[in-house]
Amino acid sequence: MKQIASFRDPSGFLFTRDGILYRQVNLEYQPHYDQLMVSGLYKTLVDKHMLIPHAEASVAPMEKSIEYKTLQPVRVPFISYPYEWSFSQYKDAALTTLAIEMLALEKGMTLKDASVYNIQFFEGRPVLIDTLSFEIYEEGAPWIAYRQFCQHFLGPLSLMALVDIRLQRLMRVYIDGIPLDLTSNLLPGKSHFNMGLELHIHRHAASQKKYAGKGDEVKVKEAKIGKMAFQGLIDNLQNTIKGLGWEPAGTEWADYYEITNYSKDAFDQKKNQVADFIIQVSPTSIWDLGANNGEFSRIGSGKGIFTVSSDIDPSAVEKNYLESRNNHEKDILPLVIDLTNPSPGIGWENAERDSFIERGPVDLAMALALIHHLAISNNLPLPKIAEFFQKICTWLIVEFVPKQDSQVQKLLSSRKDIFPDYTEEGLEKAMQAEFKMIRKEAIIGSERTLYLFRRK
Amino acid sequence: MYHFIELLAPLARAKAYLDPGSGSILLQLLIAAALGAAFAVKVYWKKIKGVFGKKEDAVEPDQPSTAEPEESESKK
Repeated sequence: MKQIASFRDPSGFLFTRDGILYRQVNLEYQPHYDQLMVSGLYKTLVDKHMLIPHAEASVAPMEKSIEYKTLQPVRVPFISYPYEWSFSQYKDAALTTLAIEMLALEKGMTLKDASVYNIQFFEGRPVLIDTLSFEIYEEGAPWIAYRQFCQHFLGPLSLMALVDIRLQRLMRVYIDGIPLDLTSNLLPGKSHFNMGLELHIHRHAASQKKYAGKGDEVKVKEAKIGKMAFQGLIDNLQNTIKGLGWEPAGTEWADYYEITNYSKDAFDQKKNQVADFIIQVSPTSIWDLGANNGEFSRIGSGKGIFTVSSDIDPSAVEKNYLESRNNHEKDILPLVIDLTNPSPGIGWENAERDSFIERGPVDLAMALALIHHLAISNNLPLPKIAEFFQKICTWLIVEFVPKQDSQVQKLLSSRKDIFPDYTEEGLEKAMQAEFKMIRKEAIIGSERTLYLFRRK
Repeated sequence: MYHFIELLAPLARAKAYLDPGSGSILLQLLIAAALGAAFAVKVYWKKIKGVFGKKEDAVEPDQPSTAEPEESESKK
C-alpha cells in the first residue's frame, strides 16, 4: 500500500507490504541516489546518527516501470510531529537539518527540501528519515528549501521563544509551516534587532510580498550565489537558531514532584508496583500518558522497552527531553500531547499526518494519576475514558486517586462536586465493559490504588 | 508565476519539485554576499587560530544534541 504522506516528491515514495516499510527510488532520481551513496555522504550521516540507515532490498518493485531501487529503511518506532515536540526537541531538529545541509555541501549535494516532517526522533536523536531529500549541488544554485526551512523551523521556534510557547500549535493549522508574514506580524518589535530574524523572517516576508506572482525576471536570471555565500546563509541560520532559547518554568507541572504530598516510601512502592506490572505484561512498547517529566516512563525505557512519555505541559516535556538527551537515553520519546484534544489527522484527506490514536494501539498504556484530571477537570464520564483506553491499548495500568486525596480536593475546591460515580467502584464498573481487571494493589502510605487491566 | 519558474529552472533545479518562491530566491541573492563574507572571515579566523595552536571547534557542525546542550538556557 502506497503511503499518502509521500506523494509530493517525484523522486520516489513509501509503501508497505506484508507489514514491512519500503521506499521506492524512481529512475529519475538515480544520479542523486548514486551520488549520495558514492560520495560517502550517506555513510557520514549514518555514522553521525543524522540519517536513517537503509538496506537495498531485493523485492518486487511497487511501480516497476519507473523503479531504480527499492530500499528498506530502518523503521522509527513512533512517528511524532513538530506540534508535539518540546522546545529543545524542535530546536535540535532544526540544527540537525542545517548540520546535514552543511555536510551535504561538502560532498557536492544539497537538501532540496527542508520539511520538518522529514525529521523524526530515533534512539533519542533527531534524524532525517527521507533518504531522497538530497540532490546534486550545482555551483551557483541558491537554496531551494530556504523558504520551507524558515516556515517549518525558524518561524515556529522564534514564536515559541519570543512570544509564547503555545504558538507552536499553529503548526497543526499550517501543514507547510507558519506563513512568514504571519510570523513577522506576531513577533515583537525587538525581533527587528536580531539580525537573523530581521533577515530570515521580516525581510523574507516583505520580499515574498513584493515579488508575489511577479518574479523579477532580470534578477532571477542572474540568481546565482557562490558556495561560500550558500554556506554563509546556512551558518547564519544556525547562529540565529542557536540564539533562541526558552526556559521551562511557571507552567502547570514543572515543579509537580517537588510539591506533591506523596511520602518517599509510598512513591517508591508505587514505582516497584508499576515495575512489577510491566514485568508481568512484558510489552514491546509503552505509552505513558500524563507522564510529567518521565519519572515512571523510565521504569519501562530503562529496561529497553520503547516508551512514549507524553504530557500536556510543555515545561514538563522539555525537562523530560533534556534529561533523556543528557543521559543519551535511546528508548524514551517525550512528547506534548493534550489527551482532551489529541493531535488530529491533518493534510490532504486528513491523512498526511496521522492522529494520535491512529498511531496506536500500543501494547501497554499507563495512566498514573491521570484519570482525575480527565474525569473532574474535563467532566469526562468514566465509561468514556474506558472507551478511549480500549482504542489505544491492550494492557493498561491505572493509578486511581480518590476524592479524599488532596490533589483531587484541589480540583474540586472551586467547583460543585457533580461526580458521584468517581469512586473505586465506579471506575471498576466503568472499566468492566471494555477491560478485565487483572490486578489491584493499594499503594501503602497513600489512599491511592494501582490497577492492571487487560482489554477484553 | 509559471513563467518565473521556467526562468529559474535551467540555472537552479531542473528537478525542483518545491516552488522555492521568487521572493525567497531574490532575498537570498540580496543577503548572500554579506553572509558569505562573514562566513569566510569566520572560517579563516579559525584557521589562523589553528595555526597558532589554539584548539578550536571544527567549523563543521556536529549533532546539536551533543554539541550544544547548554544552548537552551539563554533568554527568557
